[in-house]
Amino acid sequence: MTSSRTVSRLSRILALIPYVLEKQSADVSEILDRFDYSEDQLTRDLNTVFVCGLPGYGPGDLMEAYIDEDKVIIDAADYFTRAPRLTSTEALGLLAAGMTVVGMGEATPALESAVRKLTKAVMPEASSALVVDVGDESDNVGILRNAAADQRVVRITYRSVGKEETTDRDIEPWTVFTTLGRWYVMGHCRLVDDHRTFRVDRIRDIEVTDELFERPKRVPDPGVGYTASEDDVVCTIDLYPKALWVLEYYPVEVLRQSSRSTRIRFSAPDAEVPARLLLRLGRDAKLVKGIEVAERVNDLGGRLLIAYQ
Amino acid sequence: MQNVVERVLNLLIYLLESPTPVTAEDVRHTVLGYDAQTDEAFHRMFERDKDVLRRLGVPLSRRALDAWEVDYGYTVDPDEYAIPDPGLTQEERVALSVAARMVRLGGSHAGLDALLKLGGIERSVGLEPLGADLGAEADVLGSLFGAITERRAVEFEYRDNTRQLDPYGIAHRRGHWYVVGAGSKGERVYRVDRIEKLTVSDKSGTFAKPKGFDVRSLMDLQPWEAGSDPEVEATIRFDSEVAWWAARTLGLEKPEGELVASVPVANRDALVGWVLSFGDAAEVLEPPEIREEIRTRIEAALEKLP
Repeated sequence: MTSSRTVSRLSRILALIPYVLEKQSADVSEILDRFDYSEDQLTRDLNTVFVCGLPGYGPGDLMEAYIDEDKVIIDAADYFTRAPRLTSTEALGLLAAGMTVVGMGEATPALESAVRKLTKAVMPEASSALVVDVGDESDNVGILRNAAADQRVVRITYRSVGKEETTDRDIEPWTVFTTLGRWYVMGHCRLVDDHRTFRVDRIRDIEVTDELFERPKRVPDPGVGYTASEDDVVCTIDLYPKALWVLEYYPVEVLRQSSRSTRIRFSAPDAEVPARLLLRLGRDAKLVKGIEVAERVNDLGGRLLIAYQ
Repeated sequence: MQNVVERVLNLLIYLLESPTPVTAEDVRHTVLGYDAQTDEAFHRMFERDKDVLRRLGVPLSRRALDAWEVDYGYTVDPDEYAIPDPGLTQEERVALSVAARMVRLGGSHAGLDALLKLGGIERSVGLEPLGADLGAEADVLGSLFGAITERRAVEFEYRDNTRQLDPYGIAHRRGHWYVVGAGSKGERVYRVDRIEKLTVSDKSGTFAKPKGFDVRSLMDLQPWEAGSDPEVEATIRFDSEVAWWAARTLGLEKPEGELVASVPVANRDALVGWVLSFGDAAEVLEPPEIREEIRTRIEAALEKLP
């Protein structure tokens, strides 16, 4: 197999040539930006183009490609006046990106018309064959996005995922993002004086204050991975086949796996989380170790049984 | 890699410029980089390079050169090769560039590759704090998307079974990609991340989508609405502390105090799971058979305790 690096290098060359040909010559700095090149990569690719051409491969058969002062020049490459078609993965990537932003309710009219034109060009029926839904049920995503763009402190009433408790916090929102079907806001939380990621659907109330903050120059990559801490409640659970979806929804550690059951280590800031999960799984899981969790299951299960008498 | 890049460029130029289809032997003796190879090495090399061309989006076709279909030749039609111009304005190009930077698919900003072919990424000003990660294996998804646009049947392994599907559409919802289409027993929905060993048929245009088909209609359901249980209406009470959150999931107004809501249920298991995720802050009031199911579930969980 040829590496995907070779393919992306060729793809960029085949996109670069028609662009420069049409403009006759282009500023080096513009090309670096527009085609996401480093100067070394651009020089190397131009040198490659320079030695390729029509059979015979004499001086008159090869393409011309070089940097003159601060201009990129390409000539004698009439067969490459257009870039190749989009592959289905590329077309999907761009359409899905456009549709995602349209779906966020953040799209400008220009984006909406761009998606329409692109759909028509690559796939006339895409409007009924491709759907991207990253919608949030509340207006909070929009409010947080604007607060982050304006660098305004927000006050939120938040129901924590781990502890199932509600707190008021002042946060400095840096980024608002969606992954695995949920929306998150990441920023500096003044309550814990550290950066934190919050689930947007768990924000009950939100108030944008007049106070401005300074966004750090470097913001950590958005991520939602749960990091176990020393104070966590840890338990061991056997999952039977019907309960294997748990592996996809919770950050668990798989201890051993067979066709009959999968043993996992489950950590959470509070015993309430595994207790609710175990009740919901019924006979499809078994708690192997974790006294605190067993007590909580007993306690909560007992109360529920009374309610459902 | 340097050699491969040069050789593939030369091969592509040769294919674009030849007025008639060319044979593998023509390529071998004409294009720089293929000479001085053994038969076997040449054929391996040529196969790999044809694969690279396809991955670049080059429409390489193979045609019989005589009536007896003994010899085959390769050709790239320059008109088919060229990307159609979608006629984007400068403003639209900037908007697409911003969107492509915001959205990740299969771990990378897949839309940016497409933008290069459309004339490059436009610079934008200002900070855009929004982002989205759509997950998924970009290759599997891209192949499915290609099969949908060209109406090709697909076959894959799904939970240890082989499935055949005429794919109609794909949808991203609640963090997962789904493919929708017709199987041997009617319309089916599969999670894309569970698809293994996907193969796409060589034949295009082998099926027609039903008139008025729209993926949306199949995807617009809550988990407990999509299923094959006899449909019932369930009434659920949520404590005031979680009522706002349940109302948001159900698309209802934010309530004052507690919430009592009715929902249609076609997948009881999903409903029971959702209600129990609230602990004792939610209770199914009706119908009695779902209450019974919850009771049985809890008793089973309690019996399993060490």
